[in-house]
Amino acid sequence: MKRKYELVYVASPDATDAQVADLHVQVEAIVQRLGGQIEKTDNWGRRRLAYEIGPHKEGTYVLEVIVGSGELMKEIDRRFKVTDLILRHLVVRVDEEQTVIERTRGKRTETSRRRRVARGLPPDRAPGEGQREPDDDRDDRFDMTEVDR
Amino acid sequence: MNGGGGKRSFGSGGGGGRGKPAHGAAGAAGKDGQRRPMFRRRKICKFCAEKIDDINYKDTKLLMPFVPERAKIMPRRISGTCAMHQRKLRTAIMRARQLALLPYTAE
Repeated sequence: MKRKYELVYVASPDATDAQVADLHVQVEAIVQRLGGQIEKTDNWGRRRLAYEIGPHKEGTYVLEVIVGSGELMKEIDRRFKVTDLILRHLVVRVDEEQTVIERTRGKRTETSRRRRVARGLPPDRAPGEGQREPDDDRDDRFDMTEVDR
Repeated sequence: MNGGGGKRSFGSGGGGGRGKPAHGAAGAAGKDGQRRPMFRRRKICKFCAEKIDDINYKDTKLLMPFVPERAKIMPRRISGTCAMHQRKLRTAIMRARQLALLPYTAE
């Protein structure tokens, strides 16, 4: 069963670059052993944590997009739980959501094109056409001035 | 709570026009109990308006305005987000919190 997962982990700020790279190698080994593949790796670098985790105020964030089975992610999850170097990690399945997003997006462009053609306009918007000014008074989104009665 | 503000009396009495609802003992302003019909703008769902399909936990910039000072999730009644997007927003915020991208509380 091929599914797409996103794995984000936060490595301790004490970890050296080599140690972070080593974590990636570990993930890669597990993924390969259990017949998956890594689609993308993205190191976000050091970031401030929104709250302190133990003594730490910073962490190194790494994102990996993995295609594989649930068993594979279970194994990674298990391993990460016992790795001291990792402060936090999160596994999210993304394939289903992505198809939904693509479908709605496709549907929207399709209807807009159809309507524009019906109105005798070229199907695609020219850049800047129909965009609101950034400082427009008609923009009636919530701006904290309203008070609930 | 902007109740008492209606019909400001001239001269003495009516302390600031806005503010205190004049309930209880005969308040100076608005003793006729009338409320100025407050013009309220219609709230709209930010995600519907801007056609944002993907509410992602990695996109903290998008989520930040929905977790004001105390870092609680802003209720729909205030932000005007539609039910579907509020649900997605909630999961995204909760995931971001797990990864310390967003705070659970403010110190």
